[in-house]
Amino acid sequence: MAKKLKGEQFYLSANDLISGDVVYLAKNKWSRNFNDAIKIKRIDIERYEKIAVEDENKCLIVGPIFIELTEEGKIRRLRDKIRKNGLTININQ
Amino acid sequence: MYKYSEKDKKILKKRTSEFKYQVERRLNGDLTEDEFKPLRLMNGLYLQLHAYMLRVAIPYGELSYLQLKKLAEISKKFDRGYGHFTTRQNIQFNWPKLTDVPKILEELASVEMHAIQTSGNCIRNISCDHLAGINNEEVEDPRPWCEIIRQWSTFHPEFSFLPRKFKIAVTASKKDRAAIEVHDIGLRLVKKNSRIGFEVYVGGGQGRSPFIAKKIKDFLDKKDLLNYLEAILSVYNELGRRDNIYKARIKILVNELGEEKIRSMIEDKYKNFVDKKLELSENKVKEIYNFFKLPIKHSKNSIIPKVDNVEFKQWVKQNVINHKIKGYSVVMVSLKPLGKPPGDMNAIQMNKLSQLSHDYSFGEIRVTHEQNILLPHVENKRIYDLWLKLKKIGLSTPNIGLISDIICCPGMDYCALATARSIPISQKISHSFNNYSQQKNIGDLKIKISGCINACGHHHVGNIGILGLDKNGEESYQITLGGSATENASIGEIVGPSFPESELMGALNTILKTYKKNRISEDEDFLKVFNRIGINEFKKDLYDNPQ
Repeated sequence: MAKKLKGEQFYLSANDLISGDVVYLAKNKWSRNFNDAIKIKRIDIERYEKIAVEDENKCLIVGPIFIELTEEGKIRRLRDKIRKNGLTININQ
Repeated sequence: MYKYSEKDKKILKKRTSEFKYQVERRLNGDLTEDEFKPLRLMNGLYLQLHAYMLRVAIPYGELSYLQLKKLAEISKKFDRGYGHFTTRQNIQFNWPKLTDVPKILEELASVEMHAIQTSGNCIRNISCDHLAGINNEEVEDPRPWCEIIRQWSTFHPEFSFLPRKFKIAVTASKKDRAAIEVHDIGLRLVKKNSRIGFEVYVGGGQGRSPFIAKKIKDFLDKKDLLNYLEAILSVYNELGRRDNIYKARIKILVNELGEEKIRSMIEDKYKNFVDKKLELSENKVKEIYNFFKLPIKHSKNSIIPKVDNVEFKQWVKQNVINHKIKGYSVVMVSLKPLGKPPGDMNAIQMNKLSQLSHDYSFGEIRVTHEQNILLPHVENKRIYDLWLKLKKIGLSTPNIGLISDIICCPGMDYCALATARSIPISQKISHSFNNYSQQKNIGDLKIKISGCINACGHHHVGNIGILGLDKNGEESYQITLGGSATENASIGEIVGPSFPESELMGALNTILKTYKKNRISEDEDFLKVFNRIGINEFKKDLYDNPQ
């Protein structure tokens, strides 16, 4: 899960097991609100990786991933920006 | 259309309750995600970027109006009010909740549909020529054979855990509308010495390593179809690589062993099966054929109304095809309206189209691998009336086969594997060429866009293929030219270094200018020009003399 990560700080994200909604690890909970997400330092990755595995086993989440951040603390990859902001297209259904 | 037997219904009911139980076990922690994942995938349930995605099989692209109505209902009740038709004639729902999936599967089962084998390393949905049974060129209707293969391959115990997924396409025409040469197995019904049998192609595919299939048998007796398929799959199951996911498809095996070797191995295996195992009796074949009788009883002297309406005339020219029965037409319903994601249809449209199918087309609907829909049997004199109704629900775009009739995967907006977005690119193209005359002036052209190398958007076989890449964190688009998924299938050639998103439309316009200045007449389409002048003219204009 933490292999080949770039940068020094990260968010921990996943999907809610039941709804599939994108969630972020916040203080002692998983939150749908990105603003609640806590920043994780590289040095702490292993600890949070264990939390993710435990919470997946506790049937709270599925597919945990670390979100790479830039030096300025912004989300680095487009994929993760799309996960945070939603579709970039107007489906106008 | 095929109707489920009592046995079929029983099997499906059992499978649906089995999955319901598996979901319960996952939710109460009896199954870990690692244990549950293969089970959900076997039932078509993926986890994508934002949510779960459920892929529902539409066997050989054939739907009844009741099934489409049910899909509309499901999309409204359990999803966000729309569905996405795929390049393998399936439909995907992008936002289901895990807890709702068993209910969705129950709803699907009530109209003889399911999501089984729409994922995993098994034989997937059998795809077929969308004009099967309704065109004049074919030697016979290939749909019964798709159904025979579907029955054989569903829950096949030996082929449920293949080295990799396995896709089969069937046609009965010389003109290939089913892309059989880019499938793991492609089958074409042919007539030889007044006998009808199959030409068999093996080892085609796209993705990371694209290959055109090799024809390994010129003529296979119909009764031995399943024996021969069993032989191919057995060889693949035994020798296909399981150590490297990128080398696991049969195309790699065929390419590594060579055409002669794979043919002789399959033939050797076939000898063990022929006349012994899965020989199809005439009665069995006849029984299946009876499900696919045309609903039209007699031809009619019915003509398309001559209406003084430019839009209607354009639509008839572009979207209406002759039916093999006089007085009837096939109506193509484009799912590529201006600015909408290719292949998407909302619940209101699905509902209304279901009703239109009931009222105008004997309740039958087909899905094409080019992500459009068609109403297969519409009486000519009713076509104007139908068009007015399609227009009301935004389904009358006259662009079949033109530049805005783009095949496009969901790309990074939805897909967890994508390296770039693809839908916004297709939308830019359709906005840029939104005028019918402008599109007509360009002529027949197939643009196909994939958001990653897995090639779900078939970019390798696009006349113009666009592949989205991640170049140091930025989206970048590689262009290939000259691909084709027809009877003259070819893999497109990479034109050169990729373009950032901001330069892609400029590059596309340059390619079109090169094509137009080189075409001899307006009838010479893009692919013909490309095949005549080669890639260098395009390269020169794109990279040496950029405008």
